[in-house]
Amino acid sequence: MDEEVDFDVIIIGCGMAGMACAAQLLKEGVEGDRILVVDRGEPIGAKNLSGGILWGRELDELEDIFPNWEMDNPGIERYINHKKIGFLSSEDAFIMEGKFASWDGIGGTEEPSMRTGWSVLRAKTDSWFAEKLEEAGVFIMPGIKIDQLHIDGLDHTSYTARDLTSPADDAGKGAAQKWRIDNADPEIINAIREGRICGIVQDGEVMTSNVVVIAEGSNSILTRSYAFDSMLHAQSRHGIILGVKEVIHLGEDVINSRFGCFSGDDERPPSGMAMEAALAIYDDMAEKAWAEYPVTAGQVPRAGGWLYTNRDTLSIGVVIQLDSLPSGIHTYDMLEAYKSHPAIAPLISGGETVEYGAHLVPEYGLNRMPDRLVRDGAVVIGDAAGLVYSNGAVIQGQNYSIHSGKLAAKVIAKCIESGDFSKKSLGQYKKDLDASYVMRDLKRFKTTAKFLADDANYTWVPKFMGKMFNRVVREIGEEKITVEKQALRLRKEMRRKDKKTKKGMGLLNLLRLGMMGRKL
Amino acid sequence: MSEKTKLGLFEYDVKNGLGLISYNVDEHEHAHIIVDTKKCGDCDSMMCVWGCPAQCYMFRDVGLDEMKFQYEDCVECGTCFLMCTDGALSWNHPRGGFGITYAYG
Repeated sequence: MDEEVDFDVIIIGCGMAGMACAAQLLKEGVEGDRILVVDRGEPIGAKNLSGGILWGRELDELEDIFPNWEMDNPGIERYINHKKIGFLSSEDAFIMEGKFASWDGIGGTEEPSMRTGWSVLRAKTDSWFAEKLEEAGVFIMPGIKIDQLHIDGLDHTSYTARDLTSPADDAGKGAAQKWRIDNADPEIINAIREGRICGIVQDGEVMTSNVVVIAEGSNSILTRSYAFDSMLHAQSRHGIILGVKEVIHLGEDVINSRFGCFSGDDERPPSGMAMEAALAIYDDMAEKAWAEYPVTAGQVPRAGGWLYTNRDTLSIGVVIQLDSLPSGIHTYDMLEAYKSHPAIAPLISGGETVEYGAHLVPEYGLNRMPDRLVRDGAVVIGDAAGLVYSNGAVIQGQNYSIHSGKLAAKVIAKCIESGDFSKKSLGQYKKDLDASYVMRDLKRFKTTAKFLADDANYTWVPKFMGKMFNRVVREIGEEKITVEKQALRLRKEMRRKDKKTKKGMGLLNLLRLGMMGRKL
Repeated sequence: MSEKTKLGLFEYDVKNGLGLISYNVDEHEHAHIIVDTKKCGDCDSMMCVWGCPAQCYMFRDVGLDEMKFQYEDCVECGTCFLMCTDGALSWNHPRGGFGITYAYG
């Protein structure tokens, strides 16, 4: 082992992935004072934001470092035993809900009894994780932004961080995009893209390590800069989702009574509700925008909305597929329209907004993951690696991050023993990831990205679902007809309304949607 | 910076929400986003304006003739960089200790 290096491992980013990696390294026997975690937030967690529900019991394995995390972590707000998914259109809300005794995790149920989801507020969760890591001896440095990675044999002053991701002055549009670094000396470019990574550079100061773990999150500047990901990807909005969120204070009692939540006991945090819906509520806004800005006329904003209960606040927000956003609609107005929908407004009424925020979600799945996750001396984990999966009914991201962090740590621990930090031996991490449920999920559901990007789910589908349910359950003195007949009649009516719906609800399109939908 | 924006359905001022976040704003010479507004003049789609959740970009949407950008309210999401089609944007995270501080997240 090289005794010269400052640390065995430097982890960039103390989110779910980074903290899990550090904790697992400790578990594998790496000394705490050989691990450095840096984060640009001060205090830790200040830059971190999620929807946010943490799904899965990934943290159980890290119980040694994070004892009693479910009860003691102040950012773990409520466990979820009540889930709703549905469709909102301008007129209707059609929402399915389930309340599951097995999700209470107190036994006596036919289904596996466990609590598997928690509403989380990341600024609080992550500072607690960092505190526990610090207690276990890990070096935590908040308020540190990493400008450059230290590359063996390359003088970091020979290029500046800004060059790596800034467009060149002679940059063209679209595919011909050219970056400032492209104009640099080929030797420097080659070292940046292929050299051995052996530390970090911050404010001109170098700190060296055997391995650098890049856990920088969805806005993955370093991953792009150091050519884990192609720079042609760097500026693509495809498959990227913007979450815009508010935290609204309502008080614990109001939440308990309004959402029918249990108030918690010695062994369990309070219970809570998680709701997600596909939105077809932007018709009016879109029509107006299309008329005013013909450049993106006809582009349907594809968005989903969510509402989660925290202990005494609600997390409410919309996720917007950025490649679908037409000119003329502000993203924050989309959140406001969602908040004022008749099905949502009463749920948040009387509340006081205490925080507003936004964050990107790399939901491109396998279609656009970084080209490589491992280089000589470095690995990429979590959101930076694009490990997010959603099909509308389940949304996975934070648990994938934790899992990837743990897998990387196990491999790194072995590399520390053998003293070999080449991309070949670190590459075992990619193999383990491929064999894990994370990549298997992503592979199995590769087509869901396409399904979620289908306009139908944000136009006629929510409307059809709302109208259908309305007609089937209402009693307005009309003669009853069978559900099948009703569906056919409604389709006919809706197709008559406009050309787009006519095409969208055509047989071939229905078949195509059905084929994708059954693979969810 | 608190123009009220009239929208199709309602009046809403995003700056009210932004007022709830605490920022440690860095000096101008260290601005984390630099916009070459000369390149913005011919832009029809103005996707940065529509995408930005913090109204950091203002242009024809509020009746201005040229792009007006300020980084102070930025929530550091990175949307504008993905949205710009004219290579007008240089994006980086703020220096350590500067920028947004979420209390909830």
